[in-house]
Amino acid sequence: MAAEDESMAHALREKAAVSGVGETAYTRGTTQSGLALQLEASLKAIDDAGLSPRDIDGVIPYFPGGGIAEDFIANLGLPDLALSAFIPMGGATCVAALQTAAMAVATGVCRNVLISVGRTGYSGARVSTRLQQFPQFALAAEFEAPIGMFAPAQLYAQGARRHMELYGTTTRHFAEVAVVTRQHAILNGNVVMNKPLTVEEHHASRMIADPFRLFDCSLESDGGAAVIVSASDRARDLKKPLITIMGVAEGHPESPASIAQRPDLLEFGLAKAAPRAFGMAGVGPKEIDVAEIYDCFTFTVINQLELLGFCKKGEGGPFVMDGRIALGGDLPINTHGGLLSQGHVVGLNHVIELTRQLRRDAGRAQVKDAEVGLVTGYGDMGDGSVAILRRSA
Amino acid sequence: MSAAPTSTPPAPERPMPTPTRESQPYWDGLREGRFMLQHCAKCGKARHYPRPVCPHCFSMESTWREAPPAGRIHSWTVCHHPFNFFFKSMAPYVVALVDMEAGVRVNAPLRGMAEDALKIGAPVRLAFEPVTKDVTLPYFVAA
Repeated sequence: MAAEDESMAHALREKAAVSGVGETAYTRGTTQSGLALQLEASLKAIDDAGLSPRDIDGVIPYFPGGGIAEDFIANLGLPDLALSAFIPMGGATCVAALQTAAMAVATGVCRNVLISVGRTGYSGARVSTRLQQFPQFALAAEFEAPIGMFAPAQLYAQGARRHMELYGTTTRHFAEVAVVTRQHAILNGNVVMNKPLTVEEHHASRMIADPFRLFDCSLESDGGAAVIVSASDRARDLKKPLITIMGVAEGHPESPASIAQRPDLLEFGLAKAAPRAFGMAGVGPKEIDVAEIYDCFTFTVINQLELLGFCKKGEGGPFVMDGRIALGGDLPINTHGGLLSQGHVVGLNHVIELTRQLRRDAGRAQVKDAEVGLVTGYGDMGDGSVAILRRSA
Repeated sequence: MSAAPTSTPPAPERPMPTPTRESQPYWDGLREGRFMLQHCAKCGKARHYPRPVCPHCFSMESTWREAPPAGRIHSWTVCHHPFNFFFKSMAPYVVALVDMEAGVRVNAPLRGMAEDALKIGAPVRLAFEPVTKDVTLPYFVAA
């Protein structure tokens, strides 16, 4: 069984590459529709890859919200779409979509798969309204909304509180994630939050759902993002350095639609996905030069660092201190400013940033000599996804 | 604009549960002041939230039995920002996630306990608050 698992995993290893990336301006306030933002980013990603829209034969749009396959055919004139898929995993969608796209190009079903997000999270519907569109939120809507628990900030706060009570994690640890992420955002020209943030300002920001304060929460912003996944042997001929997908996996937790009923609030899909992705890649946490960690909340980053094996369970708080996760540290994270400070496009900006880091195209936030990097997705009450990318040419 | 008669805007509505064929007995129980749980008719395990199949033995037969209202705090949050306007006047409010004696969890407001008294393992008891003639919602008090 183990040998069989291994051969299955290796069937995908480095067979696919992130060949193009594109994003719109990240703002709070736009007149464009979510679909227009998504298409603008898609055209940029296609151009970045050195392809024409005619070359796209698979689309995985973020759902719900934004365009569907029909919109991409109608707008981009796709002549022969071979794959239309949704990955309904909330914040884990974009990185999980890398897995589906990799399977599609590795098997020859598709040549170039477009993954894209368009979001009017500031100028359109806000989070508590948007979530009503998710069938996965039906349980929360029935059992938790009536008692005053709606938003992810509230639903995830109980896990954060438990981590604090069990392991002594503090809001100082949370603040470190917010402050370092902001420092990184300031180096990036395309961000919503571009002013320095201090620990004191974090601690003084208003309480949202204890222990989460305002600056523990990701942004409600507008923007679009897109990436192209191509077969590695084809991507080699495209414009940019070849960034291959070494390992990729998605994972689903117990009690997937209700955090409340999950046996361990601090174990979620990523705990299952991480060993599979590392196993496929043939590397471990020590080989990771840079990590883009889905940061819907500061604490979520701390929790994921544990589940990924960068530190032991309960040690995520101290792990993020003393410059370790800042540029120049052992494990620079969220070098673009993340969802906390750059913009919220459901983490596709994390995939884009990792690709840029490995292309050595990350400007002032460049991690020197970055060869191997990791990106995660997290969402939909605890689904997880992780990809390990490598600069292979 | 002409002087409009002063009127209070309509009060925001509380989000209400929409019971399903699976969950109706739970809500009926709350309305009667009883904490009813779905149990597998074959292996006897309680499950919450209600669903058609037992994930332990895959039986589709289930029965509903009253369970004890006692439990212990597993974790909690204090909600300050009202994501829904109905809750604005109540904020801040504590929501406790409670390990019930029957082996499932219930998430509900916790009343009458100071924030600094909250701790994992603190004993609490489920209580019932009728909010309409059809719907009763759970809350917790210190045991």
